[in-house]
Amino acid sequence: MTPVLVMRDISKSFGGTTALSAFSLTLEPGRIHALVGENGAGKSTLIKTMTGIYQPDSGEIVIDDRPVTFRGTADAQRAGVAAIYQEPMVFPDLSVAENIFISHQDRPKLINWTTMNDEAAAMIARLGVTLDPRRAAAELTLAEQQTVEIARAISLNVRVLIMDEPSASLSDHEVKRLFGIARALRDQGVAVLYISHRLEEIFALADTVTVMRDGKHISTRPVQEVTQASMIAEMVGRDMAGRFAREPSRDTGERLLNVSNLSRSGAFHDVSFHVNRGEIVCFSGLVGARRTDVGLALFGVEPADSGLVELGGQAVVIANPKQAQALGIAYVSEDRRKLGLAMTEGIAANITLPMLGKYAGAFGWLDRMRELADATAFRKQLNIKAANLTVPVGTLSGGNQQKVMLAKWLNTKPRLLIVDEPTRGIDVGAKAEVHQILRSLAAEGVAVVIISSDLPEVLSLADRVLVMREGRIVGEFAGDAATDEAVMRLAVAAEVA
Amino acid sequence: MRQLRSTLASWEGFLLAVLVLIYLVNALNSAVFLTVGNQINMFQLSVEKIIVALVMTFVIINGEIDLSVASVMGLAACAFGWLVQAGVPGAAAVAIALAIGFLCGAFNAFFIVWFGIPSLVVTLATMIAFRGFARILVEDRGISDFPAWFDRLGQGGFIGPVPFAMVLFAVLAVLAYLLLQRTAFGRKVYFIGANRAVAEYSGLDVKMVKAKIFIASGVVSALAGLLFAARVGAVRGDIASGFELDVITMVLLGGVSIFGGAGTMSGTILAILIVLSMRNGMALQNITGHIQTGVLGVLLILSVMVPIIRETGSRMLARTR
Repeated sequence: MTPVLVMRDISKSFGGTTALSAFSLTLEPGRIHALVGENGAGKSTLIKTMTGIYQPDSGEIVIDDRPVTFRGTADAQRAGVAAIYQEPMVFPDLSVAENIFISHQDRPKLINWTTMNDEAAAMIARLGVTLDPRRAAAELTLAEQQTVEIARAISLNVRVLIMDEPSASLSDHEVKRLFGIARALRDQGVAVLYISHRLEEIFALADTVTVMRDGKHISTRPVQEVTQASMIAEMVGRDMAGRFAREPSRDTGERLLNVSNLSRSGAFHDVSFHVNRGEIVCFSGLVGARRTDVGLALFGVEPADSGLVELGGQAVVIANPKQAQALGIAYVSEDRRKLGLAMTEGIAANITLPMLGKYAGAFGWLDRMRELADATAFRKQLNIKAANLTVPVGTLSGGNQQKVMLAKWLNTKPRLLIVDEPTRGIDVGAKAEVHQILRSLAAEGVAVVIISSDLPEVLSLADRVLVMREGRIVGEFAGDAATDEAVMRLAVAAEVA
Repeated sequence: MRQLRSTLASWEGFLLAVLVLIYLVNALNSAVFLTVGNQINMFQLSVEKIIVALVMTFVIINGEIDLSVASVMGLAACAFGWLVQAGVPGAAAVAIALAIGFLCGAFNAFFIVWFGIPSLVVTLATMIAFRGFARILVEDRGISDFPAWFDRLGQGGFIGPVPFAMVLFAVLAVLAYLLLQRTAFGRKVYFIGANRAVAEYSGLDVKMVKAKIFIASGVVSALAGLLFAARVGAVRGDIASGFELDVITMVLLGGVSIFGGAGTMSGTILAILIVLSMRNGMALQNITGHIQTGVLGVLLILSVMVPIIRETGSRMLARTR
C-alpha cells in the first residue's frame, strides 16, 4: 500500500536537549497506527513537527511521495494533516456547525445556515454518531467537543488524523464511542495516529504499534506480534551506562509526615503514605496520574476534602501556602514560568520572596545587604551561574532557574520539601547537580518528596517509590528493589505478564 | 563609563535625557521659563494630578487600574463644599471628605479583591457612580465660601513662595519612592503585579496588598480633590472631570507596564516633570491647549512603542545569531 505520510530521519533539538533523533515513521491510509513511549520520549515534539508547529532541524516529511515543508499548522492542514488533543479546542460560544466550518475561509461571505447545518450533520454522521449542529459548543461534553474537532478535521479532507491521548479524560462509554469514530475514519481510508498511555486500548484498536524512546524509533510491529510486556520493556529499556548511580539512604527512621486517606473529589482518593526525616520518597506515574494534586494539597494550594495529615506527630490543617510555609513545608512547582518564579524580577528578590518578613525592619524597610548576602550564599552553594543577582530570572538558563527556585524554598528552611519534576527541561550537567542538592538536603534531615515522570531519576534518587495511577497509590517499592519495568507496569495498569 | 551607558539605556535614563532636552529648548525659547514664578506656576497648575499619579504608580505596577480617581477627587471636594455650606467646621469637613475617600477606595477594593471582578470594570462603574454622587451634592451651582485658612492653603505660599500642595507633593514623592523601592510592601507590589500565582504560592497576602493600594488610592484622591478645591476656591459637580486619563498617561509614560510588575517611581516622577515642562513650554509659545494635548497623545504612543521596538529588535538579533 502506498503510504500517505512518511517522516524520514527527523531530528529536532531544543538548546542542548535532543527531542527527536533521526526518527522515522510511515503512516498508511486505512490503518490505525499506535505510538507509545514514556513521558518525555518525544511524542509531543513529533506531533508538533507533523502539524507544522515545529520545523525539523533535519530530515524530511513526505506526503504522496513528495517532500513537503510545513511553515505552520495551516500548511499541514492544507496537506491533510490534523491533530486532536486531550483537551478539545473549540470556540465555546459558537455552534457545532460553526465550529466545524471555522477554517473554511474560501467560502462565500454570506452564510447559508440551512446548508451549513445540513453539511455539518453529514460530517458528524460520517463518524457514526449523532449531534445537533445547532447546539453551542459550550453545552457539549468533552467527548462531544472532541467529535466536533474530528468533524472539523474531516471537513478539511483530513488524510492523517493524529489523536493525542484522546481518551485520557473520557468515561468508558465515551471511549467506546471514540473507538467507533476512529474505526469509521480508518474504514474511510484515513490514516490514524493514535497516542495513548493505556496499553489495553492499543490492543483493542491499533493495527500497528511503534515504540519510541528518548527521541528514537525503537520498533514498529503489527499489533499481533507484540505483548504488553514486550512494549513496556521497549519503552523503558535503557543502557545501564546512562543511569545515575544510587547512593546509600540517609533515612533516619524518624517519621515526619504521615498522610492517611487523603482525598480531593475529582482528583485523588484515599492517598496514604509517610515520609521520614532524611528520606527521599518519589511519586512515580504517568502524566495525569494526579501526583501534582497531592503535592498541591499538602502545600495548601488546593486543600484536600478529607483525610488526615500529621506533621511531626501532630494533626495539621493546611488551608493555604502561607500556613504550609509556617509549618515548614515547601513546594517547588513543576511550572517555573507560571507558578515558580517571577521572570521579570531579579534573582535575589525571587529567592527572598517567601521570607520577606525576615529582611524587613521598622516600617517594612528591607535590609538589601542581608538579602544579597543570603542570595550570594545560595549562589555559591548551588552553583547558580548569573552575571549578578539583580538580573531578571527570565534571562537565566532552565537549569539555573531551577536552582534559583530551589534556593527560594531552601531559604525557608523547610522540614518537608516537595519537589515537582525537579529536572524537567534542564541539561544533563544541571540535572546531576540538582540531584546532588536533593541528596544533601536529605542528609541534613529534610524529608524530601519528589514527583517525577523521569524514571531513571526516580530509580537513582528514591529511598522509596510510590506509584500513582488515576488518583490512587497503586504500589510501593523500596528504592533499590524498584525496576523500570515493575514501576511502568503499575503505572500503566498492565496485568503482570 | 559602563555605569553611565546602562543608566542611559534604561527607560529612566532616556526620560532624563528627554527632560534635560525639553528644559534646554524651553530655556532657549523663553526667558520666563526658568524663573521661580514660572516653575512654581507650572507645578501648581497640575499639582493635584501629579499627587494622584504617585499612588496610581502602585496601582498599575500591582497589575490593576483605578479609573475612579478623578470622581473620588470630585466627590471629596463636593462633600467638603456641601458640609461647609451646611455649617460644619472646616477641619471636620476635611476629615469627613478624607473618610469618604477611604470608603470609596474600600468599596472598589471590596469588589475587586473579594469578588475578583476586574478593576477596569469596577472602577469604571464607580467612576460614574462617585461622579453621580458629587453632582447630586452640589449640582451646577458651585460653592465658594470656604474658610479663609483653607483658601490660603491652596493659593498662598507655604514655604517662601512655594505653596502647600507642592510641598506636600515633594514629601509624598519621597515617601512613595521609599515605600515602593525600599520596603517589603513595595516588593510585594511588584511580585503580585508580575505574577500573582507566584506571589500566592510564596505565601504573600495578595488580597491585603491589593486592598491597601485601592484604599490608599481613594484617600490620596480625596486629598487631591481637597487641594484642588482650595486652589480654585470653589467646587462644582464636574470638578476634576477627566483627570484620570492625564494621571494614567503620566504613569505609563514613566515606563510603568500596563500589564503590571514593571516600572519605577523615579520613572513616574520624571514623566511628570516631562509632561509639565512640555505643556508649560508650549504654553509660553502660545500653543493652544488642544495642540498640547495632541502632542502628549503622540508622546504616550511613542513611549509604549519604544520598548516594544527595542525588544523586537533584540529578539531578531538573537535569531540571526
